[in-house]
Formats: sequence, C-alpha cells, structure tokens
Amino acid sequence: MTVRLSEEQLALRDAVRELADAKIAPRAAAIDESGEFPWDVVELLASHDVLALPFPAAHGGLGADLLTVCLAIEAVSRVCATSGLIVAIQELGGLPLLLAGSPEQHARWIPDLAAGRILPAFALTEAEAGSDAASLRTRAVRDGDGWRIDGSKRFITEGNVAAIVNVFALTDDSAEARRAHRHLSCFIVERGMAGFSAPKVEHKMGIRGSPTAELVFEGVRVPDANRVGEVGEGWSIALRTLERSRPGIAAQAVGIAQGALEVAARYAAERRQFGRRIGEHQMIGALLADMATRTEAARQLLYTACQEIEAGTPLAGRWAAMCKLFAGDTAMAVTTDAVQVLGGYGYVSEYPVERMMRDAKITQLYEGTQQIQRLVVARDVMARGS
Amino acid sequence: MRIVVLLKAVPIVGTERLLDAFRVDRGSGLEANGNDEYVLEAALQLTEQHGGEVTLLTMGPAGALEALRKGLAMGAARAVHVQDDAVAGSDARGTVRVLAAALGRLEYDLVFAGADSSDGLGGVVPAWLAARLGLPYLSYAARIEPGPGGATVRVHRISPTGFDLLEAPMPALVMGTQLLGEPRYPSLRGIMQARTKEIATWSLADCGLQPSEVGPAAASSEIVGATPPPPRGGATIVRDQPDAAVAQIVDFLASRRLV
Amino acid sequence: MGSAIWAVAELADGAPTRLSLELATLARTLAEAMGAEATTVLVAPGAAAAAPALAQHGPGVLVVDTAASEELASAAVVSARVATLAAERGPAWILCGASPDGKDVAGQLAALLDWPVLVNGAAVRWQDGAPLVEMSIFGGRLVTESRPTASPAVIVVRPGAIAAEEAPAPGAVEAVEVVPGRELPAVRIVERVAEAAAAASIEEARIIVAGGRGVGGPEGFAVIEDLADALGGAVGATRAVVDAGWISYSQQIGQTGKIVKPALYVACGISGAIQHKVGMQTSGTIVAINRDPDAPIVEFADLVVIGDLFEIAPRLAAAVRARKA
Repeated sequence: MTVRLSEEQLALRDAVRELADAKIAPRAAAIDESGEFPWDVVELLASHDVLALPFPAAHGGLGADLLTVCLAIEAVSRVCATSGLIVAIQELGGLPLLLAGSPEQHARWIPDLAAGRILPAFALTEAEAGSDAASLRTRAVRDGDGWRIDGSKRFITEGNVAAIVNVFALTDDSAEARRAHRHLSCFIVERGMAGFSAPKVEHKMGIRGSPTAELVFEGVRVPDANRVGEVGEGWSIALRTLERSRPGIAAQAVGIAQGALEVAARYAAERRQFGRRIGEHQMIGALLADMATRTEAARQLLYTACQEIEAGTPLAGRWAAMCKLFAGDTAMAVTTDAVQVLGGYGYVSEYPVERMMRDAKITQLYEGTQQIQRLVVARDVMARGS
Repeated sequence: MRIVVLLKAVPIVGTERLLDAFRVDRGSGLEANGNDEYVLEAALQLTEQHGGEVTLLTMGPAGALEALRKGLAMGAARAVHVQDDAVAGSDARGTVRVLAAALGRLEYDLVFAGADSSDGLGGVVPAWLAARLGLPYLSYAARIEPGPGGATVRVHRISPTGFDLLEAPMPALVMGTQLLGEPRYPSLRGIMQARTKEIATWSLADCGLQPSEVGPAAASSEIVGATPPPPRGGATIVRDQPDAAVAQIVDFLASRRLV
Repeated sequence: MGSAIWAVAELADGAPTRLSLELATLARTLAEAMGAEATTVLVAPGAAAAAPALAQHGPGVLVVDTAASEELASAAVVSARVATLAAERGPAWILCGASPDGKDVAGQLAALLDWPVLVNGAAVRWQDGAPLVEMSIFGGRLVTESRPTASPAVIVVRPGAIAAEEAPAPGAVEAVEVVPGRELPAVRIVERVAEAAAAASIEEARIIVAGGRGVGGPEGFAVIEDLADALGGAVGATRAVVDAGWISYSQQIGQTGKIVKPALYVACGISGAIQHKVGMQTSGTIVAINRDPDAPIVEFADLVVIGDLFEIAPRLAAAVRARKA
C-alpha cells in the first residue's frame, strides 16, 4: 500500500508549516534558553485551529484523521520541538475522553480543548512506575458518591498548566484484577481541586519550554462524573490512547530530524573547506545521505502506521510501537549527525542543531521507552510468526 | 458590500523564468502576487465589519488554483478563474480586455487590485481597467473604508508628504498597497471550508472574447533580446578593525567616484 | 500619423520632479534620433510657473493649468486632457514616468486612446525606426529589450533611465485651454494630510543607505540617517523594519516596496533575502556592512565589511565628512 496525501492534507500541512516558519521558528531558541512555557505559541496554535485538529466537529474540532494530526505535529516540531509537543499533548490529553468518555463529558470538556482554551495532561507515570506502568500506586477509593485520590505522578508533561489531568489510579488491588488488567481506572482531576498540587517542575536536557511536572494528590475528591470509562477500564484506556498518541511522538521525532537535516544541508552547501563545499566531500556527503534516507524512512513508516491505525487494524499497537521506535532512533541519529556536519559550530548555541539533539533524546524515552516499544513489537512477532 | 478582488498568480519570487518564446513561465510554482493579498485582507475585513461577500477573480493557468484556494481559505466566498490557453502571454492590454469582460459578468460595489505585480506588468492594469469600465479609480491605498453615507468609498492615498483622503461614489476600483495591513494566515478551519466553496472556470468564449484579442498575437510589444545582467558577486571582503575597515571603504568609494 | 514624441511631466511642491526632467531630456534625445519633434506636456494647477524649468530641458512645453480641478485626484484630470490633446495633435509616442501618478496616467491614457503601453522602461533608445525599450524584469534578474509592434504607444519610463540635462536652447512654452473630449470619473480629495514621518522619494536618490533588522530599533536608525546625510543620500529600509514600525513604508525597498537603482547602495545589517534583493540588486555599487559572513547579500555585493554597523557606520560618516571638508 502507498501513502498519498490528499489535497486537503497537503493544504493543511503547508498552512501549518507556513505558520510555524513565520511565527514559531523565531521563538524556538528563546523558548529553549528561557525554559518558559510559551503561552503565546499556545494562543497562536489555538487561534489557527491547529489544536482543534484531533477533536470531532460536533464539539468545535476539525475532525481530522490521525495522519493529518501527525502532519501538523511534524510541521511544528521541525522548527520547535517544544511547540510540536503542545499539539501532541492536546491530542494525547484528549484521547481518553474521546475513546471512553460519556456524551456529558464530551460536551463538558471537548469544546474547550478544541478551542485551545484549556490544556490537558496525561498522568500515568509515577516515580516507581515508569516502564512498569501497570504497577502504579496512586489510589482511588470510593468516597460517598465520588472518589478520593491519593498518590503522586512524575514526569507529567504540562501537568502544572493543564486545566484537566487524566489520572490513572488503582481501584482494585486484588490479584485477579491485576491478572485481568482491570485494576486501574481513569479520572479527570481538575486544576484547583483541593489536595491537587504540582509542587515541582523538572529541569531538563531538552524540550525545555515544555513543563514536566510532579503531581501530588492528597485526598483529592472527584465526583463520579469525572470518572472516564468503566471502573477497571483504565489500563485498556491507557493502551488504546498510546496506540494513537505514539504516532504523535513519532511525528515530533520526524519533524526534529527534518529540521536538523535542513540545517545541516544548508550548512554543507555553504561552508567551504579545502577549496570545496563540505557537502561535496564524501564523508560529509555520506552523513547527509544517511540522514535524508533515514528521515524519509521514518516518515513513510509513520504515515503508513497512521493510515493503518485510522483504518482500525487489529495491529494498531504494533504499528504505533514500530513507528515511534524507528522515528525516535532516527531523530537521535540524525540530530547527532547534524551536529557532526556542523563541526564546532554544531556544538554552540548560535546554530540550532545542538538544541535539536538535546530535544531529540526525549523521543527515545517518553510514551514508552524504545525498550518498551521493542517489547511490544517482539511480543507481536512471537504471536504472529513475523 | 460586494467586493471583487483581482488576484494574480505569479511565479514565486526569485524563481521567475522566461519560456523560449520570451514569455514569463507560469508553468509551475505560482503564488498570489504579494500586493494582492493585502487588498484581499482589506476586503475581508470590510465585509466582516459591514456585511457582504468577497469574490476572487483571476486570469491564469491551472497553477493559479492554489492562490485561489488560499484566498478562499482566508475567507473569500467564491472565485472565478478565467482559464484559457489563448490568454497565456497576454500583455497589459490583453489582460485588461479579459478582466474587463469578466467583470462585466459580475456584480460588485468595489473592485480591489494590488499595486504592481512582482512579475512585471508595470502597475498600469488597475488604472487602465477602471478607465475602461468607467469606474472611479482610487490608487495607492493605505486604508479603505466606506464613506459616511454608505454610498461612497474613502481611501487614504499615499502621498510624498503623508496621505490624501480621497472619496468617490461606488461602484469604484481601488488599488491598494502593503500598508493596508498584514494578510491573515488561512485558519485550518478556513482551509477545510474552502473545499466547499465555488470556483467557477470561465473560458475566453464565456467572456465573449476572441483568441485574436489576447495572447502573444495581440501583444503590443515583442521581445527582441534578453540578457542576464552582468553577474554580480566576487565581493572584496573587509574584516579589519573599524578604523582600518573604514579607510578601505573610503578608498573603495573614492575609486568609483562615489565620494 | 505624426511622429512626435511627448513626455508627460508632473510637479512636486510646484516644481517639476527630477523624473519629469529626465523624461523631457529623454524625449529630446529620442526626437533628435528620430528626426522629429519633442514636446513636454504639463497638466497641473499653476503649471505656467513651472513651465520654464521644463523648457530648459529642450522640448517645447504644452501647459494646461488645472487650478479649477485642484480638489480632484490629479491623474484622471491629467489623463483626460493629455488624451484630448493627443487626439488633436497626433504624437506617435507618449512617455510617462514610473511614479505613482505617472503609472496611473499611463493606464488611463491607454484606455482613453486605446493605445498599448510598454512598461518598466529602464532605458529607451531609438533603433531601426522605433523605440527600443530596455526593461529590467524579475527584480533585475533579466534584462529584456522590447519593441512596440505598432505605434502609437505609451512608454512608462523608470527613474534613472537618463540623466536630466539642459538643452543648448530652451524650448517654447505654449499655454492651452483644453476641454476634454471624455472625462474620467472624478475622485474628490477630501483632505490632504501631512505626516511628519514622510521622506523624500528614494527612487530618485543617487545614494541610498539602508538599514535592516540588524539596526535593532528606531533609535538605531539615527546611525543610518547620519551616514546617509554624510554621503548625501537617502535612507532606505527592509520590510522587516517597516513592519516593526521603525521607519515609514515610503522608504521600504523590495518586493512589495520600491525598486531602486542608485549609484551606491549601502546595506547595513541587511541579510539580503530575495524579497529585499529584488528591490536593489541593479544598484551601481553595493556595499554591505554585516556581522554575518554567510548572509546572502555577500553573494551579490561589491564590497562586504564584516563588522558591527554601530562601529563602522559612524566612523565612515566622519571619514566621509572629513574628506569633503
């Protein structure tokens, strides 16, 4: 099967690219240096309907398919990984609601998410439960008509600025529930709820403008109306969410790689040493060729994965893992090579590639480490024989 | 207010080429003429504030469609695309003939045009068109607004000392400049809505014109030669400390009798 | 059909613009080569007072005083009267200047007379019985030579096509009253507003000192202005700077601004992106002062000074002034 972007997808992609080049690219270095969350970029993306892409038209979204959402993430990430992440997180944080939320919950939160009036967060990971997410310990116990949540989460993107946080909590500690993966449930905790705080934000290697927060829940009472999906459906919701959000991270990675490739190519075409443009020296040329080839391969795998997942393939988990695995490793390799092509200039902040390299690393770590992605694919290979 | 905005699809700036027949190559890579997007933005703002609709009108090859779609995505209600092989290579006179004929089939209170196209029709088409249609002509607009009674249009026309405030009854033709304000980026919603908007394609015959009236055969000038200008570059590069650098600059300018 | 060549002049502050004097000179030169008559036509309020200055440049001057139409936008007034005179007197060629009014007049004459128009003339000479118009197109990336396929025609001529030069003997001035055969729809001038920021037209400047983003802000432009003053030139700017509000649009050079061709263009803190390049790349001499040795402008400048414009420009201004003293 081949991927052909429709005319509309091309137009949307080009529009986001133009916006990113003109309005976001000039901000990228400052966002990284200051480490401040770029609210102006949120406003820009919201006002241009970029944040509306993943949400249904009935609630003010644009009802775009997964590939189109990824095209937007890729286009923005090409100039600024932090900004690309804003788009990806808007999708990620909305997915549990879209996949398992009730009509009332949709009506309550989707319009604001689509309009970019509120930001969401996805809180699964804990200090002691990263790759082993299923062993998380934040608890939700029944409290009258509602629930009481106690525990903490770590490394939650936008957790401190989100208006709504999807919190995955243990609701049934029994061995059978765990065996059946029915031990977790998903709840929307809203900013301002008593007992909910974000005491700390991490200082990071890359995507420095994106706040990565620790979240603390001390006797937070949420009404049952804030429970997303059935009791015990949490793990299933998380997995189904990741099937659609991992491609978003792959898109971020492809975008980062593309941006780095362009900087390196431009440099190699202008910089002269030993009487020639350095791109004409074979060792540099080989680097550029590999960078270009791998970026395109990662892109094609991502686009195909999006189409497969959108079409409802039973192999969605595998496709999501493969595209995220390949794209993340590609971004790391391509940005590292980009620094190499620029030599000393690649190491200094006057050129953006050192930032892109620092940004790329996270794509090998979050939404499931590369090792977890490999586990997912390996299990499927063993189950299907290829 | 019914406003027709003339949109010209021109080669992307910096990529312009001539074809063998010394016509501008409009085969690929077209974008809306820079100044046309400013007047389109002004038209959209006027209709948003005062009611009405914007219609885009372009004469050009198939490649002009992208510029039209972008204009529709920005908010224009519909587009008319005069597309006919015979019009390729038309000069200003041929262009005016076609646009006048097309406008004759449309209803409007205002026609907007951008100042000068980057591919060189020399900035005379809007004035020519207005005179041919018998419309009052207001040029070099930095601002456009309806007149106090609602039956006139007022324009701030750039002048050497500031601006002149002009007024004329509608229908009128206004030519506008960059000072009208930055054109909006099409929102993604606009892009998706543009798909459902009408682009009418008209041939030369639909406009009531004969091929002999347009195109290179009807052109009023012929190119007898084309040369690239003398190549530039090979600059002398000065990297010295400011005082030494300045001394070199002065010597250089003196050698060319510029100081 | 006559063989005369006309030049349509315009006034600024009551005196002929430099472009008008160039057109008069050009008409005279072409007429000599053609073996024909040249006439400058001036239609304006108070035209009689300005006529002698035009007459100094050779061609006879036809003067139409339009004081009565002072409150109307001038181009339509001018075109209607020039067209009527042309219909009566039958020139073969009419030169218009590529000024805003000049281009408006050219388009209107074309409609009134049903004549073709050759545009963007960077130079005009007489060859093989017709004007050969040199046009710099695509922002100067190509120069074409075009001939009209028939006469009569209007030719639009850019500033700097020829140096204005007085004739050995001044031409005769003829004042005429014209009742237009056809008037164009009138456009009323409600008010003329003067703004402090407006500067002299930079298209006619022989030397331009231009500032880009590297200037940093409106205060930075003081350095540019001082250098322009020392060199006796005008101040130009890139679009980024105009968009930022540091300087007025009338001084913007580039794709959506003005196309200029001065003898000297000093680009300070300007990267030389294509949208700006198309506005100035046919300048006689280009000097670039920039901190970035990889800026695109390095590819097409004649002298590149790598350094801080705030260090270089003031020193350069001082050195130039010292030299002139």
